[in-house]
Amino acid sequence: MSVLELKNVAVASRLKPIDLELPAGQLVGLVGPNGSGKSTLLMAAAGLLPAKGEVRWGGRELGEIPIMERGRFAAWVPQEAQFSFGFSVASVVGQGRFAHGDDGFGVPEALARFDLEKLADRPVNQLSGGERQRVMLARSLVVAPKIYFWDEPLAALDVKHALQVLELARELTQAGATVLMSLHDLRLTMCLDRVIVLDDGKLCADGEPEKVLSNELLQSVFGVKVEKADGWNLHLT
Amino acid sequence: MMNLEERQKWAMPAAIGLLVAAMFTSLVVGDLGMSPAMLWAGLTHADDLAATVLWNIRLPRTLVAIEIGAALAASGVVMQAFFRNHLASPGLLGVSAGGAAGAVVAIGAGWAAWSYFTVPFAAIGGAVAATLAVVVLARQGASTERLLLAGVALNALLGAVTSYVLSNFTLSYERNAQIIFWLLGGLEDRTWEHVLMAAPIGLGAVLLWPLGRSMDLLSLGQTEAQSLGVDVVAVRRRMLVLATVMTALATAVAGMVGFVGLVVPHIFRLLFGPEHRRLVPISIVGGAAFVLFCDVIARSAGNLRLGIITALIGGPFFLWMLRRQS
Repeated sequence: MSVLELKNVAVASRLKPIDLELPAGQLVGLVGPNGSGKSTLLMAAAGLLPAKGEVRWGGRELGEIPIMERGRFAAWVPQEAQFSFGFSVASVVGQGRFAHGDDGFGVPEALARFDLEKLADRPVNQLSGGERQRVMLARSLVVAPKIYFWDEPLAALDVKHALQVLELARELTQAGATVLMSLHDLRLTMCLDRVIVLDDGKLCADGEPEKVLSNELLQSVFGVKVEKADGWNLHLT
Repeated sequence: MMNLEERQKWAMPAAIGLLVAAMFTSLVVGDLGMSPAMLWAGLTHADDLAATVLWNIRLPRTLVAIEIGAALAASGVVMQAFFRNHLASPGLLGVSAGGAAGAVVAIGAGWAAWSYFTVPFAAIGGAVAATLAVVVLARQGASTERLLLAGVALNALLGAVTSYVLSNFTLSYERNAQIIFWLLGGLEDRTWEHVLMAAPIGLGAVLLWPLGRSMDLLSLGQTEAQSLGVDVVAVRRRMLVLATVMTALATAVAGMVGFVGLVVPHIFRLLFGPEHRRLVPISIVGGAAFVLFCDVIARSAGNLRLGIITALIGGPFFLWMLRRQS
């Protein structure tokens, strides 16, 4: 059974009708030019945006799933988090357990996973963009959901933390969760199981990265050409 | 200097201590100064004069001060979480002015004579209308500028309504005095009826209690909160209804008392952190203590209006906050 199923899902003037099915344990990337509808698709799939069509989580229609249960089934990370109040980093990460009865489970581990232990007591509104992004990712991790919706999780991160996030995503999918994330760096799609290409609110391609990201497609969607070149291979130490 | 954790541990005992001290001061200070022994004699009806002063004047006044302090501070906390903005408060957003305008229209039109409850209900109606207007004008997550501009516009509009009533409908000295009371806020001549009228504020405070965690999540973003399992529509509706009704009831029994909802939550957030499960109860107790102390100052300074004292303290504080934020 699919973890996520979209049937004819559309959002007025931003997303044309899309059908999509994601099985458990898949690491999926969402790519496309700016304004192509990536964030809209993620939010519609996460049930956070009114959309036409049918969204199903684990075979159940989204409307039938109580809000609290949704908070345990899926975790969403926005492109950019804004914090108006000075909650501590640990407290914000702990909010990920809201739908689990605020049991605080997994918070220290999530802080450690994103190198946030030293910042645990720091007010979130005093952090840099990259640090805030790590806080939001750590918060999604403690939700321990079946599916992660991450909107450009790597955009504000330095190379080490970006690689850590990709490594984490792989671990999560190996443990049976599904990760759907939007990203801009097409080279990173080679680490993914599947890539979905959006252009002007329309699904253009869907499949294994190496097969999908052909020269023709990249030219028509992004207006760029691919050239294979020798370069660095970065690894976490 | 205590760290945050230690401060948080002592927050509630300190707030309760302050409130008890404020209540004591409020009961003993006045034209008839009372020693603790006389206070006890009055409370137990052992001394007729002290008993009359306490049971007929100071106790109702003290209790109304506690009720409105609690209500305004709690409403401030709720509105700041609702609008995700430190500067949101019932006074600045025009909710108090809405309540006062409702009351003033009722008095000016002579409806106050219909029933004892006409004016409070009119105040609630005015506050509800003002709240709805702010929600429409300055959607959630609105910038400080947008929010304050909406508040300025609304306060100006409601001020115009009040001035119109004052200049066209007030034919008697008594009505004028009543209107001035609403506009400046005060606790003179408050009776047990006023204490009872504002009693639902206690229920509002209790109903706010379980919303603390949801308010934490909401104050960091509506969509984020929804994604974590908060029933955003239901929680926001409850927050807005509670904050509006509490402000309206406070305005109904004491007129427009400004700055409490702005100053109190802000100080306690700075001292004890922004978690609403702690901030709401501390602001309720601390707000009550703040208004009581302001009322004692007002009485001691030649019976000044309470709204003048809270504005004299709150105004400079607000300017300091704006400066700090910029």
